[in-house]
Amino acid sequence: MSSRPRRRFGARSRETGTALLFLLPLFVLVVGLIFYPFYRAVWLSLTDKLVGYPERFVGLRNYIYVANDDAFHQVVWNSLVFTVVSVALKVVTGLAMALVLSGVIRGRNFFRGLFLLPWITSTVIIALTWRWMFDAFPGRGFLNSFLLDLGLLSQPIAFMATPAGAMAAVIIANWWRAFPFFGVSFLAGMASIPRELYEAASVDGAGANRRFWHITLPGLKHVMIVTTLLSFILTINDFNIIYVMTRGGPGSATQVFSTYAYQVAFGQLRWGRGVTISIFVVPLLVIGIILISRYLLRDRR
Amino acid sequence: MTRALTWIGLALFLLLILVPFWWIASMSFKTYEQIQFATSIYVPRPFTWENYTGLWTETRFPLWLRNSVVTALVVTLITTVVASLGGYAVARLRFPGREGVASLILILYLIPPALLFIPLYRVLAELGATNHLAALFLSYPTFTVPFCTWLLIGFFKALPEELEEAALIDGAGRVTAFARVLLPLAAPGLVASAIFAFTLSWNEFLYALVFIQDETRITVPVGLNLLIYGDVFHWGQLMAASVITTIPVVALYVFIHRWMTEGLVAGSVKG
Amino acid sequence: MSHRRLSRRAVIAGALGTTAALSLPRLGFPQIKKGTSLRMWILKTYVEPTNKAIEASAQRWAQKHGASVTVEYFTFEDMQTKYVAAIESKSTPDVGQLETGAPARFAGMGQLLDLSGFAKQIDSQSGKAPANVAPVTTLDGKTYSIPWYVMGAFWYVWRDAFDKAKVKLPSTFAEAKEAAQALTRPKDNFYGMGQSWNRTADGYGVMQSLMYSYGVGWAGKDGKYKSIKTPAMQTAMKWATDIYKDNLQPADTLTWTGSGNNENFIAKNIAQTSNGPSITFALENALAKATDAKDKKMKEEALANHVALPHLAGPDGRRMQAIAMSMGVFKGSKDPEAAMSLIAHLVSPEETVMVMKDSYGQFAPVLEKAKAASKDYFNKNDNYRTFGRAAEWFAPTGWPGHVTAAAAEVQASNVLTDAPAKVIVDKWSVDQAIEWEDKKIKEIYDTLKG
Repeated sequence: MSSRPRRRFGARSRETGTALLFLLPLFVLVVGLIFYPFYRAVWLSLTDKLVGYPERFVGLRNYIYVANDDAFHQVVWNSLVFTVVSVALKVVTGLAMALVLSGVIRGRNFFRGLFLLPWITSTVIIALTWRWMFDAFPGRGFLNSFLLDLGLLSQPIAFMATPAGAMAAVIIANWWRAFPFFGVSFLAGMASIPRELYEAASVDGAGANRRFWHITLPGLKHVMIVTTLLSFILTINDFNIIYVMTRGGPGSATQVFSTYAYQVAFGQLRWGRGVTISIFVVPLLVIGIILISRYLLRDRR
Repeated sequence: MTRALTWIGLALFLLLILVPFWWIASMSFKTYEQIQFATSIYVPRPFTWENYTGLWTETRFPLWLRNSVVTALVVTLITTVVASLGGYAVARLRFPGREGVASLILILYLIPPALLFIPLYRVLAELGATNHLAALFLSYPTFTVPFCTWLLIGFFKALPEELEEAALIDGAGRVTAFARVLLPLAAPGLVASAIFAFTLSWNEFLYALVFIQDETRITVPVGLNLLIYGDVFHWGQLMAASVITTIPVVALYVFIHRWMTEGLVAGSVKG
Repeated sequence: MSHRRLSRRAVIAGALGTTAALSLPRLGFPQIKKGTSLRMWILKTYVEPTNKAIEASAQRWAQKHGASVTVEYFTFEDMQTKYVAAIESKSTPDVGQLETGAPARFAGMGQLLDLSGFAKQIDSQSGKAPANVAPVTTLDGKTYSIPWYVMGAFWYVWRDAFDKAKVKLPSTFAEAKEAAQALTRPKDNFYGMGQSWNRTADGYGVMQSLMYSYGVGWAGKDGKYKSIKTPAMQTAMKWATDIYKDNLQPADTLTWTGSGNNENFIAKNIAQTSNGPSITFALENALAKATDAKDKKMKEEALANHVALPHLAGPDGRRMQAIAMSMGVFKGSKDPEAAMSLIAHLVSPEETVMVMKDSYGQFAPVLEKAKAASKDYFNKNDNYRTFGRAAEWFAPTGWPGHVTAAAAEVQASNVLTDAPAKVIVDKWSVDQAIEWEDKKIKEIYDTLKG
């Protein structure tokens, strides 16, 4: 169905009018609360806005400051580590989950639903939950209690007190929350791979391993790419989990784009600079969005 | 996958997913002393409801719950209306730039709140909406509407066009065709979309944190965050609050989990 | 309800007019119109009875004048964001309780009414504040808020642990560190100290006490930037990081939230920590809730064994950075005279003493007459006598200068606690950390207006 009008008359232009009517609320929302704030954000980034004082235009001063700020360099590094490691773990675990579920015949829907629980739970609660899982206080910290009981530990470990430990903790919380989404997507993707391919391969004497690498994985390529890109975009902008678990600490060990922007804007009251930090993510976002759009809309008519 | 491997894998995943939930739930039934002095780690002994009752009578949790419910309901209403109208236009109507609008909707969903929260704050402050739930009524649709519209486009497209065409031929306008013919047919999709909007709104944190300061007007996620960083002697209450907050979402989820695969990954699997 | 910002002229004219009217000596306060409604923001402390007592005091004023007061709370955590939000959306309260750095910050933004004339009336009604507290409330020679009380910080120790190890109770930072070394027993999960450099008052407050007691200030007497790259700062920073390096504290100390040290102290995991009187409050509360005879005995012992010492001293003196609470009137107030009347009521000796009695010692009045009236209350026991002296040792943020917006931002920017964290976590050298901290502070002073 082509949507390019060849002539503007009658049914087409009437439909356009109706379409505009139906789309009006959406446009108002989008223009008023997304485009307009975005435009204001760009303007703010070019000023030295400090709360309580009127702003002054300063050109690219914020950008230069942020680009040279060593705290920001750490933020970029942290954000990348957090995102890449977390997404990689999700892909692997998602595959494992899909494989396991595909072997379950009775009750598959039930388990699939059960496994999605982390995905639907509020991220604040997930952050609190994992904060307590890692807590150094045995009464609250499950891992410490468990390991102490097993005799594997003689003293509780302060998992989140070191930079590496804190980063691992937030990555785990983020991963735990999201891998079921990967699992379910991959499972659905696997279901759409034609059975004949597997049957033919078995006939040819290919073992489970080969079937996995040569049929399943390639068949999942499309799903994997889309899900990974989506997750990359969502993870690099994550605020909730890190803010609630560590506030970006200890020191700045887990400070990422969103939490740093929040601290600068609402802690130090420097809005110009705070917005600039957020804007630095935009290039990454744009690339991610372009890639996803191309994949998601490729075969759509 | 051999059977043994499948069962082992299943068991491992079950443990992985359920242990954290169980930890919180079990702590919610422990007394402060039991948590503080780490007695009887795995099973609450004595088993107590005092955290739940304390939460209700000693903290502002009931208010926060009310705020979350009101916000979620209002936002769901707004979202369903806007998304179904917009979704219908893209799914059924022919107009120039239709594909562009579809892409735009997807792109909008991907814009992170972390980018918008500062300028949105200013805009809402200028409207006088900050520190009121109205700020959330206005800002939440910015992420619920794109997602739900995308979802509904998929739903609407899957419905057969014949009934509407019949109505149109009979002289009904597009609006009537939409309201009288399509909507009733699309009820399951609308319900799914509404539940998604409710869940997204219920779980949201950043905007609620930034736009509302008054302790009586904040939503549950912000309240929980306040409890942990403020007067933290009520760990058990915090756990109880977490349990209570998760229940509605899980309950609603039972209805929509079928659509999680279809709707959530709309298009990514089918291509 | 947002309204267009008034022109600068109008605001200045209004402020001048009000100030002029108020600086004329008056015998009493003007009649408050019946039905006047005021909004007041106060700090929600860990001690709930205090919060309620302040509200009750405000309601007594409301009853007396046939007016109404709506009290809203802010917490230590959201102090910044709440006032920020209100300023930007022009919904500031009529009366606001202001912590140490706030009068300077908000006055610098032009948000507070000049109360110089009003302050003189308070002087005669409730007495003056001591000289070391006054710098909190004045900027450029004008008074912007009325000081009310100081929430002191004290050095809490478990006396029985000290007695058992035959260690003297510490009076200085150096002594405290030595004591910690003698008391630490990692095998028993008992540590000599619990001082977290977290982003709360327990962190940045103690860091300032440390610095000021060693004679180090990042601003001079004139309030302008001064370098901290001095030998005294080296010693102070070394103290701050050695207590970690020498394993004198629990492993997760750096990640504690605001009440982490409270919890660890009460659970007897640590022998020393800095805190406000809320620890005493918690112990008194626990005793009141004791379940049986055995539990009661345990809690009585805890109460008897915990000691609140004066905050530690350094070679340059005993200085305690603490929270000095004052009351200010925001320019957006529609009824500034009613607002001032409310403030006068709250800080009067009678009302102050009434609130203080419900404060479990965390509320040390600063105005002379109220202070005198509170002597009996603080005579309860040794700990309370120490609490009552809080104002003696008070040093404002930005010592030895008075509090300025820049000094307040230094505290708010977390640079004071991030610096030792860099040594402890990122393994920087003490010199590097001080160099970095100095640079950040200079930057703030350079780029802040006023």
